[in-house]
Amino acid sequence: MNTSTVQIILIIIHSLFFIYAFFAIASYVILAIISTIETIEYVKKNSFVNYKEILSSTISPSISIIAPAYNESLNIIENVRSLLSSHYVNYDVIIVNDGSKDDSLEKLIAAYSLVKVNFLINQQILTKPIRAGVFKSTNPAFEKLTVVDKENGGKADALNMGLNISNNKYVACIDVDCLLLENALQKMVKPFLEVTEEKVIATGGVIRIANSCIIKDGKLLDVNLPKKLIVQSQILEYLRAFLLGRMAWSRLNGLLVISGAFGLFDKKTAIEVGGYDTNTVGEDMEIIVRMRRHMEEINEKYKVAYIPDPLCWTEAPDNYKILISQRNRWTRGTIETLRKHRKIGFNKKYKSLGMLSYPYWLFFERLAPIIEVVGIVYFVILMMLNEVRWDYTIAFIILAYFFTVLFSIVAIFSEELTYHQYKKKGTGFKLILISALEPFVLHLFILYAAIRGNFDYYFNKKKKWGEMTRKGMAKAENN
Amino acid sequence: MSDAKKIVLAEDNSTLSLLLKFRLEKEGYKLHIAADGKEAIEMIEQHNPELILTDIMMPFISGLEVISHVRNKLNKQTPIIVFSAAGQEEMVLKAFNLGANDFMGKPFSPNELVIRVKRLLR
Amino acid sequence: MEIYHYLLYYFENSPTIIQIVWIASCVLFISILILIVYLKYLRSGLRKNEKTVIEYQKEYESDLITYLYAGNEEAEISAEQQAIIDKLKSCASDEFKRRIIVSTLLRLRNEISGEMADAIQKLYFQSGLISYALKRLKNDKWYVVAKGIRELTQLHVKEVHDKIVTLVNHPKKEIRKEVLLYLVTLFHFDGLKFLDLLQTQLSEWDQIQLLEVLQRFDEQEIPDINQWLKSTNESVVAFSLKLAKIYNQFEVKDALIALLSHPQKNIRIDAIHVLNHLQVYEAKPILKNNFDNLSQEEQIKFFKLLENLSEISDEHFLLAHTTHQNFEIKLLALKILKTLVVEKFKSMKDFSTDADYVKIYEYLAYN
Repeated sequence: MNTSTVQIILIIIHSLFFIYAFFAIASYVILAIISTIETIEYVKKNSFVNYKEILSSTISPSISIIAPAYNESLNIIENVRSLLSSHYVNYDVIIVNDGSKDDSLEKLIAAYSLVKVNFLINQQILTKPIRAGVFKSTNPAFEKLTVVDKENGGKADALNMGLNISNNKYVACIDVDCLLLENALQKMVKPFLEVTEEKVIATGGVIRIANSCIIKDGKLLDVNLPKKLIVQSQILEYLRAFLLGRMAWSRLNGLLVISGAFGLFDKKTAIEVGGYDTNTVGEDMEIIVRMRRHMEEINEKYKVAYIPDPLCWTEAPDNYKILISQRNRWTRGTIETLRKHRKIGFNKKYKSLGMLSYPYWLFFERLAPIIEVVGIVYFVILMMLNEVRWDYTIAFIILAYFFTVLFSIVAIFSEELTYHQYKKKGTGFKLILISALEPFVLHLFILYAAIRGNFDYYFNKKKKWGEMTRKGMAKAENN
Repeated sequence: MSDAKKIVLAEDNSTLSLLLKFRLEKEGYKLHIAADGKEAIEMIEQHNPELILTDIMMPFISGLEVISHVRNKLNKQTPIIVFSAAGQEEMVLKAFNLGANDFMGKPFSPNELVIRVKRLLR
Repeated sequence: MEIYHYLLYYFENSPTIIQIVWIASCVLFISILILIVYLKYLRSGLRKNEKTVIEYQKEYESDLITYLYAGNEEAEISAEQQAIIDKLKSCASDEFKRRIIVSTLLRLRNEISGEMADAIQKLYFQSGLISYALKRLKNDKWYVVAKGIRELTQLHVKEVHDKIVTLVNHPKKEIRKEVLLYLVTLFHFDGLKFLDLLQTQLSEWDQIQLLEVLQRFDEQEIPDINQWLKSTNESVVAFSLKLAKIYNQFEVKDALIALLSHPQKNIRIDAIHVLNHLQVYEAKPILKNNFDNLSQEEQIKFFKLLENLSEISDEHFLLAHTTHQNFEIKLLALKILKTLVVEKFKSMKDFSTDADYVKIYEYLAYN
């Protein structure tokens, strides 16, 4: 190779990096603009909806809350109590004890006066068998509660059991340790009922971080900013993802993921596509992609809706070890889902699902960490060859940094103008400070976790399978 | 005045609370106003009222929990009237099961409330 | 100064792209600063605003209560009341204050009935607040109009019926919904006449809200819904089916039976459901003879109907469907058989070796 070919190759590589960065930034800006428009519209529409009226209506459609539990003995009683305190009238709660090795079931039986009942299950989705049985309460105050004890099969399998058992039109799939606000169900069910021209197949909710918030008897009494930087950074990350990212995707009807921690599904469609996939760690993303794919294939107009109100609160990981393993899992989930549904990518038949959502996820979610690491490695090589133009480097790093900070601040604004959850004096300043620090703190760990995820996916199959059986237990499963 | 009968009113709508306070104080009762279930429980424990008026749906602690607290934790038979909004029949039934004495569906007439209060405190 | 000149020199001699990058960085940095200042202002503003709202609310609350208790026996306006009317009138010209006044009135109006409620409405008229709501109806922004209608609904202003009914087919669904709620809240079943005019679809959410409002009234005499069951607007038919069920409209059974051949599947399913609820036996042979042409959902609904309305003559039909491929139909067929002819049921233990059949049979045998 002569020097000119090398130079041409280098120029191509440089341009590719540049183009990638340019499109990444452009997509952020566009998504932020779209979500601003959508948020304003949403707030206007909902400023005068009287949820009190609909929540109590006995004509409102039936919903089942399905909450899988694995070794949750410590908090299970409290968590169930919180789930039972919704203000929606027509709903029930199905707790699926996914082969817990602790005394969850005994505790539940004692606390809610449960007795084993004869229960006929229409096994529309194949699951691991029932272990101790199906339980109902003898106390009429807990008549909404059903507890199913089954052999361990992972979170997806437990959710599938819930889908089989539910007799209701809609199912809310949630993590058992999530705190739902009392009006969460009626807000989430609204999109299903409002449409006349198309069909809503699922509604996703926002996940808020409950660390340091005051919770008593399953109710959120006071919202506080957590003390640890790692949790604070995640708050910012969630605000960006939910208020600026997903809001825009919902406007484009291109949502590919609904938080596993809280989503409401049309049960019939969920069962039609075969329920959750038990062979992935990213079952929450996978089922949405599959449901969308199904709707495209049968050519029916559909929508995946999204509610930005802070309705579901959960504990986020507060140490790096758990955070990394959580993000590692999310990365593998994304890879698995995208690979499984390769067919829709860049396929005109799937319209915007194939031409917009899928490519976006592939390039800016799936490949982003890899490209970043390649960039860093390349930069280190340049550094060793003493080929770095430091003035360029500094200029671009500063630009990127300012952009990141600005983006976080825009997210904070959108929170202030809509929900204004962090009301206490001084919190605003803290949030700004966190946006300045966050790129140095959280990002590196997330990048590391994503790379680990890629590594584990391709080279560490054992881990992939080893974790399957115990993934129900991870805290804050909120992709 | 010291022997005026005490009533604790738990209602998250402050305007309604104020209206009822005026109306009932005109009848010679002493009113303690709580804005939510938590305050209501504190006031009930502190003032030991002769009557409790409570809305069913309130922030933090619902009226149902207030009733349950009075009947089961405090073991008191203080008469309780609950306020409910349209469509909360199920909640009203629960309230009665827990030991409420009477209920008024919103919207209600304040004059009618006075009559019921008098009847329970006679 | 040295450094400044050096930087300027550097900048001027950099390639365009680096110049752009530096300019962009500066723009971003300035935006960050502006946003930080604005955020500070916004947050303290929001906090202060919350406090001010509470203060004003307290003030207007006590004004309102004073007004309500200051009436004389002669039903004339007392001097004290007049003073409050005047005060509210002048406050109402300020939009911020007006919003708080109206919300205070509404908060009370929604919760009470009787003389006091009438008095609140009177105050709404006297203080001129109503004129602002009427002005809103002419606004260009849809949410202003929608809020205006909502206010008139909550304060029971029946006088603007003719103006509002013209908006029933408004292109914005939020406005339409408020119009419908206005009509039904204030005119009850009479308000339902809009169903004749409606060209757009009523969403499920709208229907539930309307039925909720209707159920609040004591009167159970509902108008003739025959025409609506025949409407070309599918959502009107769906809504009327709900009315038929809730108000037990046995009189419309012929129209209901006619709906069994409606082109829309959802309507047909709902029709079976209502016929079941009203126990219309005539529907049974029609559905039974046409059973194989029904969609699976209709078939399941029909079996649910049979659960209520089965007679001994259905035995053969039920028997034939105990081995249907659908789980629910199988279950219902066996279940009905068990209640209908228990001896027959007992003899059917080994009727089929299908796993579901065995499971269902065992379940029913022990329940």
